Amino acid sequence: MTEILFTLGLGDNIVGVASFSDYPAEAKKKPMVGGMQNPSIEAVISLKPDIVVMALDGNRKEFEERLRSLKIRTYVFRAKRISELPQGIRDLGGALGQKERAETLAEHIGAGISAISVKGGTTRKKKILFIIWPEPLIVAGPGSIADDAIAIVGGQNIADETRIAYPKFSIEEIIRRSPDIIFIGKGTGMMEKVSQGLLERLNKVPAVRNKRVYYVGDYLYRLGPRTVTGIEELARYMEER
Amino acid sequence: MKARMAIIVLVAVTIFCFSVVAGPHIINPFALDETSKEILFSIRVPRSIVAVLMGMALGASGAVLQGMLRNPLADPYVLGISSGASLAAAAGILGGFSFLGTFTVPVLSFTGAVITGGIVGIMGWRKGGLWPERLLLAGVGLSFLFSALLMLLMSISSDDGLRKAMLWIFGDLSMSDWSKVPYGCFFVATGIAVATMRAKALNALILGDDFAHSLGFAPHRERVLLFVSVALMTAASVSLGGMIGFIGLLVPHIVRFFLGSDSRLLIPAAAFSGGALLCIADLISRTAVPPMELPAGVITAIIGAPYFLYLLKGKNVLSS
Repeated sequence: MTEILFTLGLGDNIVGVASFSDYPAEAKKKPMVGGMQNPSIEAVISLKPDIVVMALDGNRKEFEERLRSLKIRTYVFRAKRISELPQGIRDLGGALGQKERAETLAEHIGAGISAISVKGGTTRKKKILFIIWPEPLIVAGPGSIADDAIAIVGGQNIADETRIAYPKFSIEEIIRRSPDIIFIGKGTGMMEKVSQGLLERLNKVPAVRNKRVYYVGDYLYRLGPRTVTGIEELARYMEER
Repeated sequence: MKARMAIIVLVAVTIFCFSVVAGPHIINPFALDETSKEILFSIRVPRSIVAVLMGMALGASGAVLQGMLRNPLADPYVLGISSGASLAAAAGILGGFSFLGTFTVPVLSFTGAVITGGIVGIMGWRKGGLWPERLLLAGVGLSFLFSALLMLLMSISSDDGLRKAMLWIFGDLSMSDWSKVPYGCFFVATGIAVATMRAKALNALILGDDFAHSLGFAPHRERVLLFVSVALMTAASVSLGGMIGFIGLLVPHIVRFFLGSDSRLLIPAAAFSGGALLCIADLISRTAVPPMELPAGVITAIIGAPYFLYLLKGKNVLSS
């Protein structure tokens, strides 16, 4: 959310952000009002915002209602899926008086997505698993941004029947479904260590056997300007070899 | 009684074997393909063993503690050991520690549990011995403190770390592999062996320190032995797969309904029943909504509690 606002050129207008907002770097210098789920209402009020922008996916509805009852203007960003992102940005730009910039950004994102999705081949779809956290094993299921991205790059998410965006998945089922490619989110040094045990146990799975396990960035953890970067990253690894 | 004990062991072994071949897909052990073999030997067998070990540790610890503390509400978690383990594990998960790879969280939680057990032991120590009431109160006090610290830690941490920590605390057996089996076996087997060997003394302790003394047991020495064995078993259990409720508190009571209160039978029987129950619970947790998994701790309580209430109807608790 913070990221979109900065890209729309509203960085200087932002008086406060949710804690853990880490991109762009300027966001870290803004006063923090608490986590997405449990922001401090006092901190928000004391910053005297003209409008509080929240996301349907992440913030709590009660908090929005509370702010409105205190006569603070709110705007709820409704996009939850990649396909809804361009329109979501247009609506947000409209509400915040940044129509043109929003239009440019939305078009840029839309064009980025369609540029990748055209390449979707007709051959058998590659079976993909996107791991959010290895122990306990949480993967990206239907409704998650990563699941959308997998569909755009022409892969088949092996966790697509779970009905939950971030299900706790069964290792047994991974072996049975034998994914061709495994993506592991937030590819920092630590994640490589933490996922070692899991990968050892999956060593018979094609993705691990053929060394097609890739650590990717955190672009697909939230919707924003860098979502396209995340999709491109997946596409690039899909193309490898 | 011997016959009933044999039945319990037999049922437990059957359940273990069944839980290994059953799951999201039934595996026929006599016709294994490459994938099934992999799933059977690297995933299901170690996982079921870990479930049995955890359940055994909790069942036996509960049986010992209820007698030793002379309190039907005592369970392995009342001593605060699990809160200490959870706090250490959650701190590790939320802080993103990984200095020992996949062993980081188990080692942290085991250390947390042992340290907590040590503090409770020191607090429970007065005039050259361990006193049941002091142990209980120290455990409850520490438990509250650590739970509060855990909540504090969780409320100031980012959302996705929180989810991981929650899953761990509510019991997660999905990561059990062979590497955890040896040390789990060691602590659980030692603990149950020590407790069973001191079962006669425990029987005497239940009737009071004076009575135990007159039978030739040294109450304080026996309590230290029992306490250490329980603390190590519980610590091992929590570090193997987080907290699993219900088993430590209610399995010993259920077993008492069938076998009476003689600790010599009660401790091993509670161990086998606890192991069997967690094995079934884990089977259900990975089979109910494939390819997803449910927390096993939730299942143990859902299947165990109604059964316990059914037995409770018309029985006198703790009478033999």
